[in-house]
Amino acid sequence: MAYISQYQYYENGGVVPEDKNWGSYQYVSLADIVTNFLLMYSGNHSLVNNEERYKVLFHAKRAVQELNYDAFKEIKMLQLEVSHNLIFILPSDYVNWVRISLYKDGWLRPLSENIQTLSSKAYLQDNMGRILFDQNGNALSPEYSGIDYDRLTMHKKSIYLNQGNQYNGQLGWNYDGMWYFDYNIGTAYGLNTETANFNPTFNVDRKSGVINFDSSMVGESCILEYVSDGMEGGDDTLITVNKLFEDYIYAAIEYNILSSKLGVQEYVVNRSRKKRRALYNNAKIRISNIHPGRLLMNMRGMDKQIK
Amino acid sequence: MINAVRNIVLSVLNKNNYGYISPADFNLYAANAQMEIYEDYFNKYNSVINNENLRRSGTDYANILKPIAEVLELFANVERTLTQVAVDTNRYYLPSLSTTGNESFMISNIYCFHPTTNVRLGEAEKVSVGKINLLLNSPLTTPNVSYPSYTLSQGIVTVYPSTINGVNSIKATYFSYPKTPKWTFTTLTNGEPVFNQSQPDYQDFELPLEDEYKLAMKILQYCGISIREQQVVQYAMIQEQNQQLTGSQQQ
Repeated sequence: MAYISQYQYYENGGVVPEDKNWGSYQYVSLADIVTNFLLMYSGNHSLVNNEERYKVLFHAKRAVQELNYDAFKEIKMLQLEVSHNLIFILPSDYVNWVRISLYKDGWLRPLSENIQTLSSKAYLQDNMGRILFDQNGNALSPEYSGIDYDRLTMHKKSIYLNQGNQYNGQLGWNYDGMWYFDYNIGTAYGLNTETANFNPTFNVDRKSGVINFDSSMVGESCILEYVSDGMEGGDDTLITVNKLFEDYIYAAIEYNILSSKLGVQEYVVNRSRKKRRALYNNAKIRISNIHPGRLLMNMRGMDKQIK
Repeated sequence: MINAVRNIVLSVLNKNNYGYISPADFNLYAANAQMEIYEDYFNKYNSVINNENLRRSGTDYANILKPIAEVLELFANVERTLTQVAVDTNRYYLPSLSTTGNESFMISNIYCFHPTTNVRLGEAEKVSVGKINLLLNSPLTTPNVSYPSYTLSQGIVTVYPSTINGVNSIKATYFSYPKTPKWTFTTLTNGEPVFNQSQPDYQDFELPLEDEYKLAMKILQYCGISIREQQVVQYAMIQEQNQQLTGSQQQ
């Protein structure tokens, strides 16, 4: 298939959405990868022979997923407002988070992951502490656990130096322009830098599919930066790979097929493994975009005097 | 070619007054012989590929694979539309005399087209009936319009996903069976039937001319068994083996 015309590229031939093809030249589609692999790397005279197409497709997609996890620098972003329930529902294509920030007053403030729990499940208990069950034998749960209730009603204290901190709002004395408080934080044992953050905090509850925030995040705007697996919601026609990783994908498919195939000599498997690894490293270096201009900018700060 | 083959057969049989073969018997043996040789082409193709992988095959004039492939391609039917079993179903009949005009020996490719727009979709991959459920339950490889699959059972091609269900949605490229050869005649001269190829049911061999000798030897084997003449069978078999030996040396 011929390359698309400039008109197709810039304006999608006048069809909405006009930005559809912008930057498309960087990528190779999954369909091309599978077709090229079947044509060039499998067949009667190739190492890979008599393999079903669905296996090639599976390994191609797995390779794309793996690349999305840690090799591609393709971070997705989603901005949502955190309502009174203090949760941020994870996006449908979420796999792992990179950074979670509070966007307020034009500032992007990266949030800290709370090292303590923010949410819990609970069961109803009688006055003897025994769990209550329904007629089907399932334990009864309250709408909110105690910790969740406190968090939602802004009563949960935080070890972080934000609004939920136990000393926030405590009385102190202003003497000679300095504030003094009747507690020993930052005095006897020094400041715990890990928790010395004014911003709201969060926990990612992977199984529940939500990010839980502390109560200071209510009504605030949150920006989630995350990585997906590149499967584009199951639409195979949209799956693409950066061209810098094209050879790696072929090598990965070949290696995964050979390594799981009966009777393939170990040296052949090893050779394909090394090839895959080398191509992966090369592609990662390439996509890191290390070039003299960037290094120069970094090196310029080298002689700066630290006061 | 069929008359030439028959003449060879009759000539060998009559040489020592071994016997005579009727046109009806000849036609029966001819069909079997052609089928045997046709199937053997696929085996030969495979064996040449194996030789190539062992670096025992050359190129240019030493390219044995090419003529074999060319013979097989004589029987290739490219992108013939399959007939739907019922409207709006994803089930289609295999090629047959009543649908595509010839019987399918082996399906090579199944191509899918959009039911309404007729836009070409992906090529369907054959999956065994025992495996299709696993494939349908696999999120990464479940059949879709880009990567469809099909199963084959009881002469019916079932295509997945089931949304591929138009009248002209499925086209097949396949190898057909060779047509049944028929030596035809009209008149008897001196008690002998006279060849007449203008009969409506006349059908020549579909194999290339180079197979004339092999066909004659195969038919002679059948004839030898038929007339209980061991010498004919042995003669034909030795000739065939010699031919095969020459062929394998070439390969």
